[in-house]
Amino acid sequence: MSTRVFILPIWIRIWHWTNALLIIILSVSGASLHFADPELVLVPFALAARIHDLAGLALVAAYSFFAIANVVTGNWWQYVPKPEGFIKKCVRQVRFYAWGIFHGEIPPYPPTPKNNFNAMQQIVYWFIMYLVMPVLLITGVIFMWPDLAPKSVFGYDGLMPVAVLHYLAALVIVSFMFAHIYLGTTGHKISTHFKMMITGWHEH
Amino acid sequence: MGTDPETVAQVRAWNAECLQCHVGDSLHEQGKGLFNLPKAANKSDRISPKFTASNHGNMACKTCHVGAFLSYPHVAEEISKKAETLGCNECHAQESFRVEAQVAKSVHSKNLKDNFTCSTCHDPHVVASAKKLGSVHKLVAQDNAMCMECHNSDKKFAEFGGKVLPDKKRPDIDKIHEWLPNTQRHWQAARCIDCHTPPVKANASLSVSHEILNKDKAQKNCSTCHAQDSALRTGLYRHIKETEAKEMGFANAAFLRNSYVVGATRNIYLDLLGLIMVGGTIGGVSLHGLLRILAARRRKS
Ligand code: HEC
Ligand code: HEC
Ligand code: HEC
Ligand code: HEC
Ligand code: HEC
Ligand code: HEC
Ligand code: HEM
Repeated sequence: MSTRVFILPIWIRIWHWTNALLIIILSVSGASLHFADPELVLVPFALAARIHDLAGLALVAAYSFFAIANVVTGNWWQYVPKPEGFIKKCVRQVRFYAWGIFHGEIPPYPPTPKNNFNAMQQIVYWFIMYLVMPVLLITGVIFMWPDLAPKSVFGYDGLMPVAVLHYLAALVIVSFMFAHIYLGTTGHKISTHFKMMITGWHEH
Repeated sequence: MGTDPETVAQVRAWNAECLQCHVGDSLHEQGKGLFNLPKAANKSDRISPKFTASNHGNMACKTCHVGAFLSYPHVAEEISKKAETLGCNECHAQESFRVEAQVAKSVHSKNLKDNFTCSTCHDPHVVASAKKLGSVHKLVAQDNAMCMECHNSDKKFAEFGGKVLPDKKRPDIDKIHEWLPNTQRHWQAARCIDCHTPPVKANASLSVSHEILNKDKAQKNCSTCHAQDSALRTGLYRHIKETEAKEMGFANAAFLRNSYVVGATRNIYLDLLGLIMVGGTIGGVSLHGLLRILAARRRKS
C-alpha cells in the first residue's frame, strides 16, 4: 500500500529544473573557456563565451527569483539546520548511506511537508545555496564587466582573484551536482526523488 | 650618440639650439607639443621626456636632420630643395631591408597607391621599443595609437584613402569588431597587429611582422590567444624573459601582471584540485552505486 504526500509546490519544481539546466550549460561552456585549446575543442571559445554569458545572466535571474520566493513563501526555513538532535540525525543519515542502503533499509528521514530535507541535506544545501552560489554569481558578474574588478591586486591584474574564486566556486558546484544527482537515486526506490521533483508528490 | 656624461651634455646643448625655434608639434604628437614645454626653466629641458625616453632620445637632432638643417635659421625654401633627413634605412639597414619588403606586401601598400613610409606610423622622436617602455600596457597603447591615428579619424583616414578610394568611408573600429567581447579591454591589452599580421617565429630577429594582411586573413580564432600555448607568448610578451616561468602555479604568469586571460593564465594546482574534487566525486558515487547493485543482487539470491 503506497502513501502519497504533496511536498513540492510548482514554483520550486520549475525553479529547480531551470537551475539544473543552466548549471549543466554553464559547466560545459565554463570548462570550454577554462581549458580552451585550439586542438581540443569541446565548444568553440567564442560560442562558449556567448553561451556562458547568457546562461550566467539567466542563472542570476533564477537565483534572484529563488531568493525572493524563499522569503515570501517561508521556504527558506527548510534550509536552516535545526539544532536539536542535529548531530544524531546526521550520524543516522551517514550510517544509512554507508551501511543501511546496502542492506535494504529504507531512508531514515523521508521528506515530509514540514521537513523536506534531512539534516545532511540542510547543512549542505545551506552551504551551497547561501554561500557558494552567491560567490559564483558575484564573481561571474564582475567577470562579465571586468571594469568592476580592482585594477590590480598584489601586483597582479585585479581580475585574477575574481577568476580564481569563480573557478573554485564552480568546482564546488560541479562536484555537488554529481553527488546531488547520484543521491537523487537513494530514495525509497531509485526513481522516487526524481518523480517527486517532477510531480511534487512523494510516494512510498 | 653615447651615454657618457660629456656626450650627453654636448647633445643636450646642440639640441637646445634647435629647440629655441622648434617649440611646435612633432609629427604624430599634434597638439600635444612634443617640443613645447615653455614652462621649463632651462631651454634644454623644453624637450618632452617622451623624446628623451625614446630609443632615439640621446641622439642629436642634427644626426638625422642634416644638410641645410645644419645651418640655422634655415629658410623654408632652402630646406625643401636641399635639406635632408636621413631615412631609417641609413642606420637600420638590415631591419629596413626586411621591414620594407613586408610593408610593401601590406594591404595599405597594395590598396593605397600612396605608399606608407616608415614615419607614417613611427614618430622617430618618440618611437620606443618594448624593452625601453618596460610595460606591456604602454607598448600596447603606443602601437594601437599608430593604427588609430587613421582608423579613428575620418580626416586622417580620408587623407590617405581618399585619393585612391574616394567612396571608402572609414568603418568604425568598435563596430567592425563587435564580435569581440570586452572590445575596449582587448584594445588595452592586445595589439591590432597581434591579429592583423602573420605570427612571428619565437627566434626570429624581428619581433613583429609589418605585413598587415587582408581583413579576411585577420585572426578571428580566440584560442590562438586564449589557450595555454597562447600566441601572446611569442608575440606581445616575447621580450619578457620570464614567460616560461610559473609563478604560484600559474601558466603564462608574465601575462598576469597586466591581464587575466581566460584559458591562458590557468593554474596547475587549481586544475589538479579540480581533477581531485570532480573526479573524486564521480569516482566515489560510481563506487557507491556499484556496491549498491552488488548488495541488492546478493539480497535477492
Ligand atoms: C632618428 C632621427 C631623428 C632625430 C634624432 C630627430 N628627428 Fe626630427 N624628424 C625625423 C624624421 C624622419 C622626420 C620626418 C621627415 C618627413 O617625413 O618629412 C622628422 C621631422 C621633424 C620635424 C618636422 C615635423 C613636422 O610636423 O613636420 C621637426 C620640427 C623635427 N623633426 C625636429 C626635430 C628636433 C628638434 C629634433 C631634436 C630634438 C629632432 N627632430 C630629432 C627624424 C629625426
Ligand atoms: C642616425 C641613425 C638613425 C636613424 C636615421 C634612425 N634610427 Fe632608429 N635607432 C638608431 C639607434 C642608434 C638606435 C638604438 C638605440 C637603442 O639601442 O636604444 C635606434 C633604435 C630604434 C628603434 C628601437 C630598437 C629596435 O630596433 O627595436 C626603433 C623602432 C627605431 N630605431 C626606428 C627608427 C625609425 C622608424 C627610423 C626612421 C623614421 C629610424 N629609427 C631612424 C639610429 C637611427
Ligand atoms: C602601419 C604602421 C607601420 C609602418 C608603416 C611601419 N611600422 Fe615599424 N612598427 C609598427 C608597429 C606597430 C611596430 C611594433 C612595435 C612593438 O610592438 O614592438 C613596429 C616595429 C618596428 C620595429 C621594431 C621591430 C622589432 O623587432 O622590435 C622597427 C625596427 C620598425 N618598426 C621599423 C620600421 C621601418 C624601417 C619602417 C619603414 C620601412 C616601418 N617600421 C614602417 C608599425 C609600422
Ligand atoms: C596613415 C593612415 C593609416 C594608418 C597609420 C593605418 N591605416 Fe590601416 N588603413 C588606412 C586606410 C586609408 C585604409 C583603407 C584601405 C582599404 O580599405 O583598402 C586602411 C585599411 C586597413 C585594413 C583593411 C584592409 C582590407 O582588407 O580592407 C586593415 C586591416 C588595417 N588598415 C589595419 C591597420 C593596422 C593594424 C594599422 C596599425 C599597425 C593601420 N591599419 C594603420 C589607413 C591607415
Ligand atoms: C582579436 C583580433 C583582432 C584585433 C585585436 C583587432 N582586429 Fe581588426 N579585425 C579582426 C578581424 C577578424 C577582422 C575581419 C572582420 C570581419 O571580417 O568581420 C578585422 C577587421 C578589421 C578592419 C577591416 C574593416 C573593414 O571592414 O574594412 C580594420 C580596418 C581593422 N580590423 C583594424 C583594427 C585596428 C585598428 C585594431 C586595433 C585597435 C584591430 N583591428 C584589432 C581581428 C582583430
Ligand atoms: C590577440 C589575442 C586575443 C585574441 C585573438 C582574443 N583575445 Fe580575448 N583577451 C585577450 C587579452 C590579452 C585579454 C585580457 C584583457 C584585459 O586585460 O582585460 C582578453 C580578455 C578577454 C575576455 C575578458 C575576460 C578575461 O579573460 O580577461 C573575454 C570574455 C575574451 N577575451 C573573449 C575573447 C573572444 C570571445 C575572442 C574571440 C572572438 C577573443 N577573446 C580573442 C587577448 C585576445
Ligand atoms: C554552475 C555555474 C558556473 C560554472 C560551472 C562556471 C564556470 C566558469 C569557468 C570554469 C570559467 C573560466 C574561468 C577561468 O578560466 O578562470 C568561467 C568564466 C566566466 N564565467 Fe562562469 N561559471 C558559472 C556561472 C557563472 C555565472 C552565474 C556567471 C555570470 C553571472 C558567470 C560568468 C562568467 C564570465 C563572464 C566568465 C568569463 C568568460 C566569459 O565572458 O564568458 N559564470 N565560468
